[in-house]
Amino acid sequence: MSGRLTPGIAAILGLLAIYLLAAIFAPWIAPHDPLRQVLLLRLRPPLTSSPAAGLFLLGTDDVGRDLFSRVLEGARASLIVGALSVSVSLLSGTIFGLLAGWFRGWTAVFILRVVDIVLSVPAILLAVLTVAVLGPSFTNLILVLGLTRWPRYTRVAYAQTLQIATLPYIRAAEMAGARAPRILLRHVLPNIAGPLMVVATTEFGLMILFEAGLSFLGLGIQPPSPSWGSIMSEGQNYVARAWWMTVFPGICLFGVVLCVNLLGDWLRDRVDPRAQSR
Amino acid sequence: MTPVLAVENLVVHFPARHGPPVRAVDEVSFAIAAHETLGLVGESGCGKSTVSNAVVGLVVPTGGSVRVAGVEIAGADGRTLREMRAKAQMVFQDPATSLNPRMTVGAAIGEPLLVRGIARGAALRERVASLLTEVGLRPEHATRYPHQFSGGQRQRIVIARALALRPALLVCDEPVSALDVSVRAQILNLLVELQASHAMACLFVSHDLAVVRHVCDRVAVMYLGHLAELAPRDALYTTPRHPYTRALLAAVPEPDPALQRAKLRVPLQGEIPSPAAPPPGCVFHTRCPIAVERCRREVPEWRCLGETMVACHRAGET
Amino acid sequence: MTSVPMSGSAITPALAVDDLTLAIGGVSVVDAVGFSIAPGEVMALVGESGCGKSLTAQAMLRLLPRQVKQAAGRVLLGGEDITALPERRMRRLRGRRISMIFQEPQAALDPLSPVGAQVREASGLARAASRDAVRRMLAEVGIADPERRIDQYPFELSGGMCQRVMIASALIGGPAVLVADEPTTALDVTIQAQILDLLRRLAAERGTAILLITHDMGVVADIAERVAVMYAGRIAEIGTTEAVFAAPRHPYTSLLLAAIPRLSDAPKSRLAVIEGSVPTPPEYGVGCRFAGRCPLADARCVAEQPPLRAMEGGHLSACWHAERVA
Repeated sequence: MSGRLTPGIAAILGLLAIYLLAAIFAPWIAPHDPLRQVLLLRLRPPLTSSPAAGLFLLGTDDVGRDLFSRVLEGARASLIVGALSVSVSLLSGTIFGLLAGWFRGWTAVFILRVVDIVLSVPAILLAVLTVAVLGPSFTNLILVLGLTRWPRYTRVAYAQTLQIATLPYIRAAEMAGARAPRILLRHVLPNIAGPLMVVATTEFGLMILFEAGLSFLGLGIQPPSPSWGSIMSEGQNYVARAWWMTVFPGICLFGVVLCVNLLGDWLRDRVDPRAQSR
Repeated sequence: MTPVLAVENLVVHFPARHGPPVRAVDEVSFAIAAHETLGLVGESGCGKSTVSNAVVGLVVPTGGSVRVAGVEIAGADGRTLREMRAKAQMVFQDPATSLNPRMTVGAAIGEPLLVRGIARGAALRERVASLLTEVGLRPEHATRYPHQFSGGQRQRIVIARALALRPALLVCDEPVSALDVSVRAQILNLLVELQASHAMACLFVSHDLAVVRHVCDRVAVMYLGHLAELAPRDALYTTPRHPYTRALLAAVPEPDPALQRAKLRVPLQGEIPSPAAPPPGCVFHTRCPIAVERCRREVPEWRCLGETMVACHRAGET
Repeated sequence: MTSVPMSGSAITPALAVDDLTLAIGGVSVVDAVGFSIAPGEVMALVGESGCGKSLTAQAMLRLLPRQVKQAAGRVLLGGEDITALPERRMRRLRGRRISMIFQEPQAALDPLSPVGAQVREASGLARAASRDAVRRMLAEVGIADPERRIDQYPFELSGGMCQRVMIASALIGGPAVLVADEPTTALDVTIQAQILDLLRRLAAERGTAILLITHDMGVVADIAERVAVMYAGRIAEIGTTEAVFAAPRHPYTSLLLAAIPRLSDAPKSRLAVIEGSVPTPPEYGVGCRFAGRCPLADARCVAEQPPLRAMEGGHLSACWHAERVA
């Protein structure tokens, strides 16, 4: 049975925990100030050590900042961006989906048309436009990611709500005298949460990639603050001379996205039998 | 004394995507007094479930009147409906989908009391415990989830939830159809006991004539959206007046080979017509063994024949 | 424990099952089940959900779900042991010597193919020669206007009509045995009466042996000549329908019959109940599986499994206290 807590899943959860701890405690773990430039020590390879500054585990970047400290600090940015943007889109998407599924009729037609429109606009184009108009900032980044991704959740929430709304326990709640907000929050939402969580995990991985992409284009996290995307963006000019600047943040990115996606697959296996037997 | 439930000329039509509307219920009238159980029987698609849903306001009537404890609910606003539902509660067919899988049994049973502000906290827990005991479960079951119970136990939980508001009317829509035979008997015994001890009026919808006979005082037979016959239990089962009632009774296999094999077989020919295009005249004439020319043209009047109400041109002829 | 209760006639039974044991992951869910059916006879296998009646039915055609293994026993089709036949040969038997119909006729038919084509496919006959045969078969199962129906799709037919089509495609290959798994459960009572009449007529006219799986004692009383009552994977009682209904010799049968509301009993009287619920396979003990719910159970019932024993009246009961069952 897939869906049990297998050693593989335990390893994935463990790895994600390490990522999370590293992101939270980055300022305390980091051996160097991620913003401090030591121009004499620029583009040093991994495991360089200097008597004055100590060990540079992953080497230094083009202006002599400690890459290990910057990747740690970048983890923070990436995970926070992922979590916040997923929260924004999950929350708004679910609310619209619940409303469309519950009230149906014109409410549903309107919401679903907006979903179609948003989905038909290339997300990256929308992001570039928004940032170009509003200017690049952390808040705008979250806003852009949230605004472009909510329709995924709306579609799932809508379909699930339609299905659940016909079940006798919803009619029983109406008979009990419960009003729409209570029925949606207490009866519908808990029963559609599983599929939504599955969408959220895959979206989380996607959001981190998206942030990296935008930062790479210079539209996301602004220098000198590091994020995996911006570190790689800076490193691309030196790929031939300093491979470590792109490879290490790339590995981190790859690892976390893979873990989250595997976790999502596992969650799907776990919630599906319930969805069937409901 | 006003009946607990009075239904007059109830009409429910469902719009169809193509073609004419589906005439699910057409000109149905009946009343149920306190302490009384009325059975509503018929085959699938006859409209019996639509009637039960209309009675508790889950389906909006196209026409006619439904009064629960004297209050008109046809065309009533949300507030009136909500107040009415404190007096009329429902037990559904499938206990597997009648309970929210993510809600404890205690929360489910207590919900009607909680959302109407009748009880909360310790008082609520106490009421839930006594309801659980009343339906033959234990108070400590309140903290468990529905999937930890068998089908029969779940149906007990559903019944406890329906009783929470001490309703005057209990609508049971095929309450034992999804249960195994031995469990079915437990639930039927429970329903009969509770109906008597709570002095509730009960609308009992079922396709099973033997079950209906067991629990009901009067029985209404529906066919294709129309009432065919309504009579006190004994009259209906011993001297059925409508040919459809007779055919139904003949078709029920009795669990007794001697009785069953001695039975006169008059199987109905043909299939049930579509409620979107009901036949003209008497809706039953296409399958009726005694139909005459008049039945094809004229809709039979809903008339009194002794203690029986019947809609058949030929009833009482022999 | 391998006695095969024969149907009394000396001829080879159309279907005989001996010591059939089915297991899921090493736990036996059907245990030492044996019975036989004569040509033209209708035998019912009756029990509540989870008693193993449907798995037994599927084992007759070797159509068991993947996780269910036949751990022991033989299935004899016209005297031939089919237990060990290679799948290739088994495929050729299905539809020609043994067929099956199901509870949900609409789900068992292909929605995208005309019903006539589906019946023909089951026959294995050539297209040109068979249209006539298919039409005759549809007429035989009581479908009015078969010439028009033959080209219609399942959604154009009612549930009762679909079940007739299923029966036609099950019988067109001329099988000696028809396994009917809850064939009328999804149908209305007046349509059920039609289908039961049809099955009865087909058994009599074609000499088809019918194994009818049902939970409905009324259906058993109506159509079956013999009945096996199953409980928790075992046969509790087996015999002629008259004998079993008139004088049940197993407490389970007796209580089950008393639990059914009848058109003849006193309204609103208390129905007999069987306390507790059916045990699941991991809960099966070494003794009688009904012991936990049985009013007659004693220490022996819990410790020792009762064998099927012959009762007066010619039927068999698996109960240590069979003589005391009222």
